[in-house]
Amino acid sequence: MPPETVPPELPTQLSAWKDEEAALLESLEQIEHKHGFIPRNIAEEVSRVLEVKLERLRKLQIKVESNVRKEVDTLVTKWKDEEGSLILILHEIENQHGYVPREIAMEVSYALGVKLARIYEVLTFYHYFKLKPPGRHNMSLCLGTACYLKGAPAMLAEAKTLLKVEEGCTTADREWHLDVVRCIGCCGMSPAMVVDGKTYGRLNASDVSRIVNQTTQPKAAS
Amino acid sequence: MNKLTFADLEKYEKTMADSGPNWVRVSMDTGGIAAGADTVCTIFEKGVGTLGFPVEVRHVGSLGYSFADPLVEIAREGMPRVVYGRVDDEVARQILQDHLAGRRLLDDHILAWRNRALTFDGPSTHILVKDTSAEKGDKSQFFQFSLAEELKRGNLQDKVQVVRALDMGVYDEGVAVQFLPSRVTYTNVLAPDVARIVKTSVQGKKVIDDLLYKKPDKQVRVVMRNCGKFDPESFQDSLRYGVYQGLASVLRGMKPEDVIATVKTSGLRGRGGAGFPTWLKWQITRAVQRTPKYIICNGDEGDPGAYMDRSVLEGDPHSVLEGLIIAAYAIGATRGYFYIRAEYPLAVSRVEKAIADARAAGLLGENILGSNFSFDAKVRLGAGAFVCGEETALIASIEGKRGSPSPRPPYPSERGLFGQPTAINNVETLAAVPAILVRGGDWYGQYGVEKSRGTKVFAVTGKVRHPQLVEVPLGVTLRDIVFDLCGGVFGSKAIKAVQTGGPSGGMIPEHLLETKVSYESLQELGSIMGSGGMIVMDQDDSMVEVSRFYLRFCVDESCGKCAPCRIGGYQMLQILNRVARGRGEKGDVERLRAISKAMQKASLCGLGQTAPNPVLSALRYFEPEFKAYLEGGVSYARKMSANRPPEPAAAEPANA
Repeated sequence: MPPETVPPELPTQLSAWKDEEAALLESLEQIEHKHGFIPRNIAEEVSRVLEVKLERLRKLQIKVESNVRKEVDTLVTKWKDEEGSLILILHEIENQHGYVPREIAMEVSYALGVKLARIYEVLTFYHYFKLKPPGRHNMSLCLGTACYLKGAPAMLAEAKTLLKVEEGCTTADREWHLDVVRCIGCCGMSPAMVVDGKTYGRLNASDVSRIVNQTTQPKAAS
Repeated sequence: MNKLTFADLEKYEKTMADSGPNWVRVSMDTGGIAAGADTVCTIFEKGVGTLGFPVEVRHVGSLGYSFADPLVEIAREGMPRVVYGRVDDEVARQILQDHLAGRRLLDDHILAWRNRALTFDGPSTHILVKDTSAEKGDKSQFFQFSLAEELKRGNLQDKVQVVRALDMGVYDEGVAVQFLPSRVTYTNVLAPDVARIVKTSVQGKKVIDDLLYKKPDKQVRVVMRNCGKFDPESFQDSLRYGVYQGLASVLRGMKPEDVIATVKTSGLRGRGGAGFPTWLKWQITRAVQRTPKYIICNGDEGDPGAYMDRSVLEGDPHSVLEGLIIAAYAIGATRGYFYIRAEYPLAVSRVEKAIADARAAGLLGENILGSNFSFDAKVRLGAGAFVCGEETALIASIEGKRGSPSPRPPYPSERGLFGQPTAINNVETLAAVPAILVRGGDWYGQYGVEKSRGTKVFAVTGKVRHPQLVEVPLGVTLRDIVFDLCGGVFGSKAIKAVQTGGPSGGMIPEHLLETKVSYESLQELGSIMGSGGMIVMDQDDSMVEVSRFYLRFCVDESCGKCAPCRIGGYQMLQILNRVARGRGEKGDVERLRAISKAMQKASLCGLGQTAPNPVLSALRYFEPEFKAYLEGGVSYARKMSANRPPEPAAAEPANA
């Protein structure tokens, strides 16, 4: 599905639905706490509702998957005549999603007639392809030689303690993704880093927290 | 667009011209945009409308002065052309107001011209002044004031403006002064000289010989000839500045053999690092009878700290494409690929646009310019693997596989892309080709030394005062590049070493800086030319740490196909890790040397063979430092390396 046809916001039901489940679980736990167990009549009723819900969930899943298939099919037809097209297709997926989801990789494997292992062979070899979804904000710290000499390691240490993640990892709340990149070609303004597509240069370790705050609370900073 | 013909190109050749009298050129390359060039450009685009006279605002490639990004070059009728550096939004507004509307130059942002003149060709209208010696205790302001006062005394204050410059292009030469528009430059100006400068040079238009800076500019721009001059996205501009003239002269009557012969005379060698003669590569590929043949432009610039290929692709994509077409003609290829890093989205989009424009104009496709030569080109993206700069790995990557190198022979010229004969040339090599064909092999061959002819672009970064791209004829010394062109070490510390060639290169210590740069001389020193990254290190940098940094890079990037590289690299890294932690064992230095030797001899591709180079060269020139780590621990070693100049390899190791 091309990005422009995506509705600008998620369906509101989705978040309400997540809460509903949590509430249901909580009330069941309360009952369990009160009685020491869940009474049979309640259990039966819940499982009956769940059956129906699961059936609907499967439909939903199929809906989403058919979307994936459509997306992959358009990509494959686009690059079909090109020799060695696998990397090109993966590039497009990476650019759209920010990573290569497993379901899509499986679809690509099916559509191209290439074994999934072959696809993962390529995916894991190249640094550009990611297998995990990125965070809401992404920090790429340049660790090219020029930046390295001018104090990037201290910045990296600062970013690690600040965000409480290792390099190449995403925070538990999916807010920040910290990455180390080879060279962003801005050696003239080293040390540099890219946060959400914006390049910051001539930094030192203390700038990291300022930039993080600025990015998470754009209004408070200004 | 209609297909171009020879006649059209001839017309462009004759009408090569500059734009109107007033223009603004904003350097819109990745570095410039990162520094804020796009907002600066918007300010100019909006602002020029209110000025009341026509001003053309153009996006151009980078001039190479990365330390001063974003760069803006301004021409105003009746005023000398100037380049402004470090232009932020506020400065951009000031330029609009003061320079374009008010006809006054701005203080502290101008980069003086490097192509200095030796005589006055007319009255001076502006004087740039800057204290070039120390970074502290700047005397520029004082000299600006005294020059202005002196001018007032001569009643010239309305005719000549004195401006403080950002950078003079000469360093450690006391107070420097440049006269505009003549570009005569004086250095080591002292306070008593002010009066005679005004009297003799401003009023009398005569040069004061003892102050004149006579050294010519060391830079010769061949590859970067068009960078910063015109909009790289505009096909028309490229034509107007003479791109595709080389192709026209080739197709007008040169045989492929003639092209190869011209390139042979020029002495051009592969600029990607190994320095294989370009003509020979073409001839071998041409000699193979099978078709189709392929030509690949290698733009997978993986060296951290090197960005010249990106700058050329972003600043002048049409010239690289022209070089690719000429190369294809020479070897008889029908298909070409640009292999560009995906991390360079701007370069990719500009090359894609260049290809589309050239195809629309009939410079790609069937029967180019009415000849019977047909050729088409495409862009393929790299995906962040350093090893893909290696020929066979690059081919595997274009074929859609993982980029593992394969043993050579067979060489790509025999069995390359899709099993067909393939020639792979670096971006810089291809960008130089059209210039060689327009101006002749002898012209290009006049630069350089011995077997290394022509010019090379270097990206000088690290602890250098003014990190930038410089293009110099081969044969200039490292000291010239680091000190004369880039201003020496940042923060007035002592230089310790220069690292060339990226993770495959080596460290060159301070006492060898007089070495003339060429493929052979760098190899003798245990380094390589590589793609042209040059990283300056000062006394604070521990060579053990730096060599560990490079080795870790190579270990990360090793594809894991052959054992010497995969295992050897890892073992060396383990040893270096413990040495750097102060837990080194006796015999570690010898062990490092032994593993290095094995890797150099037995690895499959260039990555593994050259991975030990940084460690070996560090051991060769800075062994006492390793010994200090082994014998005295970390804090002792740090102290030693910071306080003591590096000793030649033969010197006695430090006593713990």
